[in-house]
Amino acid sequence: MSNTMNKRKDDKPTLDLAGALDLSPAPESCPVTIKPRYGHFIDGEFVDGEGGFATINPATGEHLAEIAEGTQAEVDRAVKAARKAFEGPWGKMSGLDRGKYLYRLARRIQEKSRELAVLETMDNGKPIRETRDVDIPLAAQHFFYYAGWADKLAYAFPGGVPKPLGVAGQVIPWNFPFLMAAWKLAPALATGNTVVLKPAETTPLTAMYLAELMQEIDLPPGVVNIVNGMGKTGAAVVGHSDIDKVAFTGSTQVGRIIMRQIAGSKKRATMELGGKGAHLVFADAPLDQAVEGCINGIFFNQGHVCCAGSRLLIEESIAEEFIERLKRRVEVLRIGNPLDKNTDIGAINSAEQMGTIERYLSIGKEEGATTWQSSCPVPDQGFFIRPTILTGVSQTDTVVREEIFGPVLSVLTFRTPAEAVKKANDTEYGLAAGVWSEKTSKLFEVAHALNAGVVWANGYNLFDPASPFGGVRHSGFGREGGIAGLWPYLADQGGAA
Amino acid sequence: MRTTVEKTLKMYVGGKFIRSESGRVLPATSAKGRPMNVAAASRKDLRDAIQIARGAQKSWAGRSAYNRGQIFYRLAEILEDRVDAMPTSGADVLAATDRAVHFAGWTDKITALLSSLNPVAHTYVNYSMIGPMGVVFAAPDPADGLTGMVEAMLGALLMGNSVVLMVPTASAELAVALSEALAVSDFPGGCINVLTGDVDSVVKVAIRHDDLDALYLLGDAVSADLLEEIGTENARVMRRLVLAPRSARPAPPSRLAKLAEVKTVWMSSALMSGGGAAY
Repeated sequence: MSNTMNKRKDDKPTLDLAGALDLSPAPESCPVTIKPRYGHFIDGEFVDGEGGFATINPATGEHLAEIAEGTQAEVDRAVKAARKAFEGPWGKMSGLDRGKYLYRLARRIQEKSRELAVLETMDNGKPIRETRDVDIPLAAQHFFYYAGWADKLAYAFPGGVPKPLGVAGQVIPWNFPFLMAAWKLAPALATGNTVVLKPAETTPLTAMYLAELMQEIDLPPGVVNIVNGMGKTGAAVVGHSDIDKVAFTGSTQVGRIIMRQIAGSKKRATMELGGKGAHLVFADAPLDQAVEGCINGIFFNQGHVCCAGSRLLIEESIAEEFIERLKRRVEVLRIGNPLDKNTDIGAINSAEQMGTIERYLSIGKEEGATTWQSSCPVPDQGFFIRPTILTGVSQTDTVVREEIFGPVLSVLTFRTPAEAVKKANDTEYGLAAGVWSEKTSKLFEVAHALNAGVVWANGYNLFDPASPFGGVRHSGFGREGGIAGLWPYLADQGGAA
Repeated sequence: MRTTVEKTLKMYVGGKFIRSESGRVLPATSAKGRPMNVAAASRKDLRDAIQIARGAQKSWAGRSAYNRGQIFYRLAEILEDRVDAMPTSGADVLAATDRAVHFAGWTDKITALLSSLNPVAHTYVNYSMIGPMGVVFAAPDPADGLTGMVEAMLGALLMGNSVVLMVPTASAELAVALSEALAVSDFPGGCINVLTGDVDSVVKVAIRHDDLDALYLLGDAVSADLLEEIGTENARVMRRLVLAPRSARPAPPSRLAKLAEVKTVWMSSALMSGGGAAY
């Protein structure tokens, strides 16, 4: 891979920090015990389970553990345990006491945050810098936030009489394994529901660690049940006749399959699906910060983010300069061992996802995109893709329309705010978008005109338990976080007399 | 003895009274026992109505809440005025009138109740506001009369959506009377459209349309055995399905929330110097 930084024809000095700042490796050394095999967590007990598949460290290819594949019978036992807990201790408990269990869990997560961060990084491939500073602390905060709601549900809706739905079947993805478990569990439990959770098959380890913490805090058996497995197990969970509520985070494609599966049933659903986030940069933006924001928008978590700002729209007058700045900045990102605290970009989660991203890169080339990649060296083993910027693309190109779910940024330009909004909204998705400008009226107008569930004005990829998150159109429905995050877990309220 | 002038029953689309483009009609009986021909909404009638509703949605949602409240209240005024002229019981008209008054009072308040200012751990003003989903296909329970139609329509309109209201053949005469009230209540053309005909068959077309955002079905608006097909087809475009009980009571805030989208905005509230990502 050639270094384009040295190819510039003008006389401007080049930035060659990549060579100048060789850092010594600084691997996180916290020991974490991984058992050879994990089964399921049903009715407060760990069970061995049947069959199995391997979960690996995607940064090294190293085998981490064997994971049982949940059968219909095990799912059935889990749902029965959840029903029993719902009709028993959990359903009868006061909101305040329910909340205390969630507070306990939040505290245990904080106490074990270092182990959890290491375990998550090993199983997922994302840099320790992210698991340590984002995934695990946010998960603890999420439990802490919803804990406080448990005794205040009467205020979730004006004039409402809050009632839980019953048993929730929750299926979560591999991109934020522990954080997504928290996003799903915390509001479900705070509102008095019980849960059967199916973690992603490539990243089950932190969910099983969470089960240990739930045992430690004496969470009543059956309140949370975790059944490991592949898609078939997930289908058994959401399709189970005694599930009242389905919550799914994942691709729009799988979301459709689930919605078809539960069609005609009385099950309520929340779908947090794919996206193709537009990230708008106006000429009057704070450019240094916008560069950082755009990089955070697409290269955070190797781009394995449903709300990633994967479509960059730059005002034409600054496009050339801005793209140069972006490349210069991306050039100094470090790709490598995710356990190294200096690493900015870690491993792609699986061989399958690596293949998907590579397929999109070749489609991009076929459709005429100009591909630029950072020259940062990548490890010889494991799944790594250099941060990639695609220019010369248009609205109709596959890489502009479809979710790649990798470190690939497509760049387009616009001339007026109206054109920017039109291009940004020209998508089937509507999860998130971003806009950069120093002009307040422009920020408000554009932020409100963008057809997305979440809009960041002068920022990107910021998350907080108090802030509702979720999409419109093909990006799904229902919100996670904030007051609106309680709504999908409460039964319909009676009307005013 | 004078010969009565009988009215042709038309549908209400884009602020105009139209026959079905198909020329098809379905037989029904008027409140006075006379045989009637009801316009039978076709596949193309529905497509046209959705397209017109889409075109009208932004401007409807963009009107001030005060203005939308006055339009709802104007509907109440017109209905009260026509209490003896509507082809339904006086009690039904008065209940429908009261329902319109109820919703008129919501337009400038519901946003304040269902939106939130979220205390995030960053220097951003973070707010979640409710906004429209887009175009909603609404159908009342056939037994709920005028009150059911007003309930189905205004709940969805309140949240800034434009609406295609589907009324079964048997209630078409009443739907036309309602349309005539709508036409003089200052609703901008296209934000509310009223189709008549066979509900199940029109719903089957609606769920195969790609540019319809939600279905709002109250009581037994559609056959129960159609719900699975609705769910299956909705999955294709992640269309929202809002199921509600009959219209005895107005939609509570929890249901109004389902007729809206929640949009969260992170608005930076700090000078940008020294900010930036963690990389």
